[in-house]
Amino acid sequence: MGTRLRTYAPFALLAAVLVAFPMVASTSMVNIGVYALIFGLAAIGLSLLMGLAGQVSLGHAAFFAVGAYTHAILITRHDVPGLVSTVVAVLAAMLVAFLVGMPLLRLRGHFLALATLGLGIIVSVVVRELEITGRTSGIFGIPKPEINNRVYDTPQEFFWLLAPVVLIGLVLARNLVRSRTGRALGAVNDSEVAAECLGVNTFALRLRVFVLAGGYAGLAGVFYAYWLAVVSPEASGFLLSVKFLLMVVLGGLGTVWGAITGAVAVQAIDESMRTLMPVLIPGASGEVQLIGFGVVLVLLVILLPGGLAQLWTMVTARLRGSGGKARASGEVPTVAVAAEHTARLDAAAGGAALEDVLAEAELPERGTVVLRVSNLTKRYGGVVAVDGVDFEVLAGEILALIGPNGAGKTTCFNMISGVLGPTAGSVEVLGTRVEGKQPHVVAELGATRTFQNLQVFGSSTVLGNVKVGRHLRSRSGLLRGMLSMAGGEERQIERTSLATVAALGLESETDRPVKDLPFGRQRQVEVARALALAPTILLLDEPMAGLSGAERAALGDLLHRTREAGVAVVLVEHDVDAVMALADRVAVLDDGRLIALGDPDQVRQDPAVIAAYLGTDEQADRLVRSAAHDHATGEVS
Amino acid sequence: MTDLLQLVFSGLAHGAVYGLVALGFVAVFSVREIVNLAQGEYAALAGLSAISAVAMGVPLLMAAVLVVPMVVLVAVILERLCIAPVKRMTPLVSIILTLGISTALKALMLLIWGPQARGLPAFPGSDLLVAGVSIRSQELWILGIAAVVGAAVIWFYENTLHGKALRACAEQPVAARLVGISPRTATMVAFAIAGFAGAVAGVAGSPIYFSSWEHGLALGLKGFVAATLGGLTSLRVAMFGGIMLGILENLVAGYIDTGFRDAVAFFVLLLVLLVRPQGLVLRAPVVRV
Repeated sequence: MGTRLRTYAPFALLAAVLVAFPMVASTSMVNIGVYALIFGLAAIGLSLLMGLAGQVSLGHAAFFAVGAYTHAILITRHDVPGLVSTVVAVLAAMLVAFLVGMPLLRLRGHFLALATLGLGIIVSVVVRELEITGRTSGIFGIPKPEINNRVYDTPQEFFWLLAPVVLIGLVLARNLVRSRTGRALGAVNDSEVAAECLGVNTFALRLRVFVLAGGYAGLAGVFYAYWLAVVSPEASGFLLSVKFLLMVVLGGLGTVWGAITGAVAVQAIDESMRTLMPVLIPGASGEVQLIGFGVVLVLLVILLPGGLAQLWTMVTARLRGSGGKARASGEVPTVAVAAEHTARLDAAAGGAALEDVLAEAELPERGTVVLRVSNLTKRYGGVVAVDGVDFEVLAGEILALIGPNGAGKTTCFNMISGVLGPTAGSVEVLGTRVEGKQPHVVAELGATRTFQNLQVFGSSTVLGNVKVGRHLRSRSGLLRGMLSMAGGEERQIERTSLATVAALGLESETDRPVKDLPFGRQRQVEVARALALAPTILLLDEPMAGLSGAERAALGDLLHRTREAGVAVVLVEHDVDAVMALADRVAVLDDGRLIALGDPDQVRQDPAVIAAYLGTDEQADRLVRSAAHDHATGEVS
Repeated sequence: MTDLLQLVFSGLAHGAVYGLVALGFVAVFSVREIVNLAQGEYAALAGLSAISAVAMGVPLLMAAVLVVPMVVLVAVILERLCIAPVKRMTPLVSIILTLGISTALKALMLLIWGPQARGLPAFPGSDLLVAGVSIRSQELWILGIAAVVGAAVIWFYENTLHGKALRACAEQPVAARLVGISPRTATMVAFAIAGFAGAVAGVAGSPIYFSSWEHGLALGLKGFVAATLGGLTSLRVAMFGGIMLGILENLVAGYIDTGFRDAVAFFVLLLVLLVRPQGLVLRAPVVRV
């Protein structure tokens, strides 16, 4: 209860400010406030898109304009009731976002930004050209909103009508950031490939946030149309898109609060520039406030990339002395640490063990073929990285994939997990062909992996990383997340994640930012994250690298437990001794070909394996020596 | 038929301007992986400065020649002041940053030159009528200038040691440093070339297409679309793409509706990105895990 109170206290404070503001401020100030709220509403959506989904929209005014125009047309030409037309207008903006997002969100970084910029231009071209949008003069005579015979026509009244909408919009957005969806999006931002391999459907999530951002902008457009009583092509202008973007960046990327503080700040810059510039430069006319926008954007990127939110955490940290430092990295410092700690202890007491987590997968009978790789081939131009590899993996066994550097082990993993499409051949997970499918499809079937080049979610904690592993084992979507209705599920996620963290011996690091851990520990976090999914097939790419002897032994035990539970474990490993001790069967790749497959003893004696390893590296020598030790030395020379 | 030829020919000249702007995008992107949203502003700035110079009594061609190094200088100074200090340049950061630069430049031009669009007087020469197609002398100037400048930039990047070294910087920064190319210099040179190509486009195009403070946005977007055709790394395809875009726009304006000409670029962009996001000629990017 205490946590909840502290979480919502800032919102209560904002609500009080919003109620009081129109009573104390002058009418012209309230007027500025109305614009700040209208644009702020659109900025909240854009903030979700940029901060959470890591996508830039340079044409956000397009959605704003679709909302405004739809509303204006319905209300002036068809006498549709205000509430209905508002709903339709928001849906129209969301529909446009959906249609545009379908093709555009497959693009990355630069291209999406420029494509949305193009969208902004196309919408302003269209509204200027069409009869229905009133061409260049726009649509006039939109009546002020009227609810229960009360007309909201003064700045004060309109402010009070708008404020609760913005407040709710803010709370919903903030809930979303904290939800399962928000967590997954944050993960996608850090490492798209890792999030995909844990079952996060990147594209679908981004599309949803894009549509949601379009909805926020559309609703802002409705209020804009109401307030101005006119919608002109200006509502679709590039200037407005820049303004939205500036609000988000100035407020601080990654915090939804930033959208509101940014909106107020930008509106203040806008007004002061408009008053100031004509005084400074006689005869200045037109959009002179742009100079302020441009300069502030550049200065922000160079001097204060975290925006006002960064400034706030810096100031509060200084006020609190060194005590504030630990919190400075968190998004909103409202978590009641003590209460959370008790909850943790409770969770641990009724704690789920690793076996309980793993049992969530409906594991097939031991010895069933769960992964079948046939004729798997990858060519890069003339180079053959993997050449017609066949093998099967059974439930409840540990299969090690070894071979010299460049043998194609990781490429095999990439093709199995869906990160790479094979040139030829097939991959079957539990009887379903998955070659060329997206990694999240493979993960949904129960196969997940870790990475040789670490792919931890760097902006999160150890627990935060592991929680993403629970993505497929939980269900709450965008809507439930926004309404904060997934409390029970969140507690379940917390419990199982803690159990998995404990299974890896990472309890003492639970709340540390994962980037602060040494590489070996980060690798263990990846293993914990993969186990949290309760996989049927677990693919580990060099999980032992960077671990101490004791940690290796512990990981070995853990993998045995995992195998005993009935999971199929496939691991790529360089440490041959460790592999031989751990694995039930060993597959050896050399130069893209499978040269041996069998139990460790068979493989150790295989002449082809010995030849492949001879003189390649130190581990190979060890393999040769262990073989030589067991058998006749003449075979080696 | 004459209509068609007329549309194609005047589109050719307009497209050459887009092509030059596109060269600027590629010049920067192939070295620093930054899409420089201020690229179109260089053209607007050059056009407006030349107009002012002419108004102050500087002979037309001299004004046209003088503003080019000035814009190059502006481009390099802005790079030093705004781009260089940023240490971690992600796509998101580079877009916000260059958008800021572009917006500030726009506003500055608005403050100096006011909101009206103006044109430079046409370069000397008389208009022609060939087979019913009227050809303005300025269009011939544009084509000639674009051919020379385009060829020079392409030659520099593809055939000179310095040019090749610049691109090496993008692909192998460490290796490039080892053989004595500093990324710092490379970035400055890249922005200088971008400023140069943009300025030439602005000055040559101004007599027909006019210059104004807000002109850079549309011009920049179209240049970007052309550059996208070459995956943002091929100069030749970017130049060629610009010309094709100019022609296509003119055909749409002539046969469908003038109002929609500015939307053509966006449709082309969408189409290219959907069909071949890596550009028409480039190999697919390789992801390493």
